Amino acid sequence: MIFLRRQVPLLITLISGLVFAAQYYVPHPVSEQMLTSVTKWLQIISGFALVLGVSSLFHVHAVKIRRKEAGWGYSFVLYVSMLGTIAVGLWSNGKEAVDGTMTAFGWVYNFMMVPLQGTMFAILAFFIASAAYRSFRARSREAAVLLIAAVIVMMGRVPLGEYLIPLSGDLSQWILNVLNASVRRAILIGVSLGTVALSIKIIFGMERSYLGGGKE
Amino acid sequence: MTFAERMLKIDRRIIFLVIGLCTLLPLLYPVGLPIKISPEVRGVYDYIESLPEGAVFLLSLDFDPASKPELHPQAISLLRHAFRKNLRVIAMTLWVSGTGMADQVVTQVAREMGKENGKDYVFLGWSPGGTAVIINMGQDLYGAFPADYNGKSTKGLPVLQGIANLRDVNYAVSLGAGNPGVEAWYVFGKDKYKFELGGGCTGVMAPGLYPLLRSGQINGLIGGLRGAAEYEILIDQKGKALAGMDAQSATHLAIIVLVIICNLFYFSMRKQAKQQGYSGA
Repeated sequence: MIFLRRQVPLLITLISGLVFAAQYYVPHPVSEQMLTSVTKWLQIISGFALVLGVSSLFHVHAVKIRRKEAGWGYSFVLYVSMLGTIAVGLWSNGKEAVDGTMTAFGWVYNFMMVPLQGTMFAILAFFIASAAYRSFRARSREAAVLLIAAVIVMMGRVPLGEYLIPLSGDLSQWILNVLNASVRRAILIGVSLGTVALSIKIIFGMERSYLGGGKE
Repeated sequence: MTFAERMLKIDRRIIFLVIGLCTLLPLLYPVGLPIKISPEVRGVYDYIESLPEGAVFLLSLDFDPASKPELHPQAISLLRHAFRKNLRVIAMTLWVSGTGMADQVVTQVAREMGKENGKDYVFLGWSPGGTAVIINMGQDLYGAFPADYNGKSTKGLPVLQGIANLRDVNYAVSLGAGNPGVEAWYVFGKDKYKFELGGGCTGVMAPGLYPLLRSGQINGLIGGLRGAAEYEILIDQKGKALAGMDAQSATHLAIIVLVIICNLFYFSMRKQAKQQGYSGA
């Protein structure tokens, strides 16, 4: 059993990792065909992952409702909404509109999901303003630099700011193009090197946490 | 409790009210301040402008309704521009929750511009796999999307004539609100399949995409509502983005004023504490 649970996955990871790292540099039709087939598999597996995710969500919330855990009412709302949307979606054949006429699924999407998600995002503006007032303080030199840069960029990104302080537009462009881009690039290079190192560790079986920690 | 302390602990509902008014009033009474066009937005506009009639333009609407206020106006402007230039438009999404919205915006603009589905444009919809979809499209477009959103077979669609994979796309723009989005289209798409790529994103994401812009990995970037408003000016069709710019101006200014006030009170409290410390010593 340990062979199937440990060695086989490690072997699959090693072979596929090495083969697909090399594939990128081999434009031969056979290599390209292999990539085409594997990405198709990936798409199919992703489809199943969606089913797995939904069933797992059902299971977690069903347990919460059955045990009447704290906040089980929210789980109930989630259950009803999800089952209702799935039923309506199947009934409408997954279409929001047919020949320009809105279906029941389209109604749920347009008048429930769109405004709810929009509201959640819009609320952020209010919380950001409140949080900025409470915590955006120049406690140190570094915080002061951050504060000044933020004020300049906020001014430079809106017409009123550019109208009041004409230089703010160019200054904000400079901050974004020079300071921000170079710092972001440094972070990206760091993250990329880390990803390469982690990939090598996974391919060669040094990092095995993705196999799970079940009993052997 | 001193005045400064009281002000720093002000009821957050007052701040909410200020932000609410700063959003609402400019929408009711717009001022229409002039907007300067940034080189990032002009990069996308100029490239589309340079494309010949019938060139293939791929628009990936990688966002959900949460980012609608910022990315929807960008999508409308880009589609209007592409249709006006008589480009062949391929629209799609990598975000399942944005599929319905993407279909609506493509259909609405196409109808407004008198374009025919299947002949002038196609909406491919969503396919599972995230970044794998991009690679799959790069290998074989018809394998990734055997049918369009309406269930019509993609093979034989006049709009897709002569297109086998992403190598045949002249210009692609991803309007991304996260991952998969602009970065994924560069890493898994442009890097291997060598098409020109532009990006559009929410305001908070824009600074993170500047390294791609500066290195030429993307040739332009439409950032947030401001970017959408600039694009509306460039195509000379005023829309929701321009209408929202006054509200954004007012809220930015309100937040700046709030931050300055908060710091003034903070420093006055610090000064008081120092003075008390000296007198105590």
